[in-house]
Amino acid sequence: MTTKILLALTLLAGAVQAQTVTGKAFGTYVNALGVTSQSPVATLPSSGGMATGQADAFGVAGAVDASWLNAVTTGAVDNKKSGAQSTSELEQVSAAGGAITADIVTAVATAYFGQFTGGSDGEGSGFTNLVVNGEAITTEVAPNTRVDLPGVGYAVLNEQIPTGDGLTSWGMTVNMIHVVLQDALLGLTTGEIIIGSASSSVAR
Amino acid sequence: MNHARHLSLALGAVAAVLIAAACHDAASPQGTITAGILPGHDKGGSQCADFRLTGGGRVDKPEPETGKSPPSSHDFATFGFQARPDAACPFNMAGSGNIEWNEHSETQYGGGFAFHGQVTLFSTPDDGTTDPQCGRFGGFGRLNPHNGATEEDVSFEVNHACDVDEPGVGKDHIYMRIGPLADGSIYFRHSLLSGGNIQWHRLTGNN
Repeated sequence: MTTKILLALTLLAGAVQAQTVTGKAFGTYVNALGVTSQSPVATLPSSGGMATGQADAFGVAGAVDASWLNAVTTGAVDNKKSGAQSTSELEQVSAAGGAITADIVTAVATAYFGQFTGGSDGEGSGFTNLVVNGEAITTEVAPNTRVDLPGVGYAVLNEQIPTGDGLTSWGMTVNMIHVVLQDALLGLTTGEIIIGSASSSVAR
Repeated sequence: MNHARHLSLALGAVAAVLIAAACHDAASPQGTITAGILPGHDKGGSQCADFRLTGGGRVDKPEPETGKSPPSSHDFATFGFQARPDAACPFNMAGSGNIEWNEHSETQYGGGFAFHGQVTLFSTPDDGTTDPQCGRFGGFGRLNPHNGATEEDVSFEVNHACDVDEPGVGKDHIYMRIGPLADGSIYFRHSLLSGGNIQWHRLTGNN
């Protein structure tokens, strides 16, 4: 009997705990040669709702060029289920002096929980007509694929970073192109370029 | 009020097209169709809904197919929305919210477009959708085609957005219609999610 009462109280406490969602998406971020520049960012309020960040075009010479940047994040909170989903997409993308190009870059990050479980994923993320170092990539790019960029550094494609403890919180960050700029002689990191970034998380 | 009535009739007309299209019709193509002159209908007597919807993600192939288009294909759209009944419920089906819809197919209207819509109507679907946690909403918005001039006050309707399960990929589905467009056609895409999620939430007074 005591166990049942404790279980009921535990469930009740869980039902009234504060739920939160977070979401963030943007098209491009550049930190190179002392220049930091970022396209409009969509940031979801912690109570849910919707936010957007858009630009017709965005460019930083030698680092990135893109058009039709659209970042959207939406989410909702309630006791039974909560969720956040963020998307970032760009068209006519050229990065790292043309070492990486794509017709379309799409990042999708999703986090959710229901009454009994939760999760997060980067399903829906992808490239359309990706070309790396002059070579067309005609298959899906696996999460966290590293490619070297001679004279530039390296890039992680479809970078997926899970967040949360998996018990009371779940999250995912997707960076479709994450270029790490390196000094050619010493190999030291000198900057970074992020293209197509979407993050979502939920907690209860 | 007249505006609301006009919207209601417009949605009714669109709904009539959708009934013909049938939610689970495997033969439903993605694309544009010629707008028809259809009799409007007003359900009448309905109350403002007691739920809200949020969602976002990606849609590719026409329902009931699932999964993404090949990496060489531009044939997909991404979206994000929040929609709910108007808190004051000034008239039946009054709604509020926003939707972003980005179509990438070069063979679609305008060679692809970005659509930014405001929700003014919200209700339960009446197109025969059998999933229990679905909503229908519509309104007007701005359409920016890749090749062409911006169009203002373009009507849209999400004939249904359904929360079937968590996670929503391959299960949740959405039916988007935009138009009539400047050339008289109506854009539509009807798909299971290939990324993202849709959530249906009962209104409790606190949300």
